[in-house]
Amino acid sequence: MGIQDIIEGKRQWRAHMARVKALPRDYQIVYKEIQRYLFKVGPIDLLDGSLLSGILDFFEEGAASGKGVLELIGDDVAAFCDDLIKDSRTFADIYQESIRGEPGTAEK
Amino acid sequence: MDGLTEMLKGTLEGCVLEIIGSEETYGYAITRRLNELGFADVVEGTVYTILLRLEKNGLVQVTKRPSGLGPPRKFYALNDAGREELATFWAKWEYITSRIDKLKEGGR
Amino acid sequence: MSFWDTITGNDLTREWKAFEARAEALPADYRAAWEEIKGHLFPYGDFTGRNLMPILDGALGLLEETAVDGQSIHEVLGDDIGGFCAALAGGEGARSYRDRWREQLNRNVARKLGRPGG
Repeated sequence: MGIQDIIEGKRQWRAHMARVKALPRDYQIVYKEIQRYLFKVGPIDLLDGSLLSGILDFFEEGAASGKGVLELIGDDVAAFCDDLIKDSRTFADIYQESIRGEPGTAEK
Repeated sequence: MDGLTEMLKGTLEGCVLEIIGSEETYGYAITRRLNELGFADVVEGTVYTILLRLEKNGLVQVTKRPSGLGPPRKFYALNDAGREELATFWAKWEYITSRIDKLKEGGR
Repeated sequence: MSFWDTITGNDLTREWKAFEARAEALPADYRAAWEEIKGHLFPYGDFTGRNLMPILDGALGLLEETAVDGQSIHEVLGDDIGGFCAALAGGEGARSYRDRWREQLNRNVARKLGRPGG
């Protein structure tokens, strides 16, 4: 289910956050706000870890090219996030399916 | 032209497929190509979310290559499924534009 | 079988213990918020617990990350923790909450980057 992996991967998580800290200030701010938003929305893509590390890769590339973060992703950060997880179901979706007992039917 | 974002939304993925289809390329180059084409509002972040989806849906082949400065770059090429998707996109595009042209000309 | 039995009676115990260990490390006001969040999420109907774990994990992750930044818990969760939790679980009002989170995200970014319009 991945949670153990997340917990046992605490060290990996620290390494991840250390990479965040190494970003320019504007990138750090935006990254953290994005992460916070994604934790709330809960796309299941979060579990395999590639969603967040992918954003980080992308931000590192952008920072290396000398661009500002909003220049890279646009002013509407929320729209960027929603685009990122457009196809992803959320934990809430799955939960709602489970209480309805109709797996797979709770998608929009 | 300004204010294209909404209208472009559904077609941008097809544009990206087309660009990747003509040669293996990476996010920044794709964005620049779209900007040069006249879609000035398209930022790298938008292209990133599209590439992520293409990758998730198994339409592209991704290769990481070292770049001059900064972290390695992800290069994208179409696979068979991607080429099929691109053909479908153009078929849909033909259909929509032909209908809309007809509407504009006042035909039935 | 109650949720608690389910939790303590099977393989979820280990995950659960790990959650609590993480919660222990939070500042007091955050820990209190965690207790409140659990309280709000538990009565969510009849479930096996398993499907709720990722939601709790996300909530805990949020608390951990914001605690590190020294943000006030109020700023993170707002006035209505019950509503917040319902939204986490995709219950009633989830859509309007998501809109609120969206606005909050853009507002925070604008404010923290020191740009107008925040």
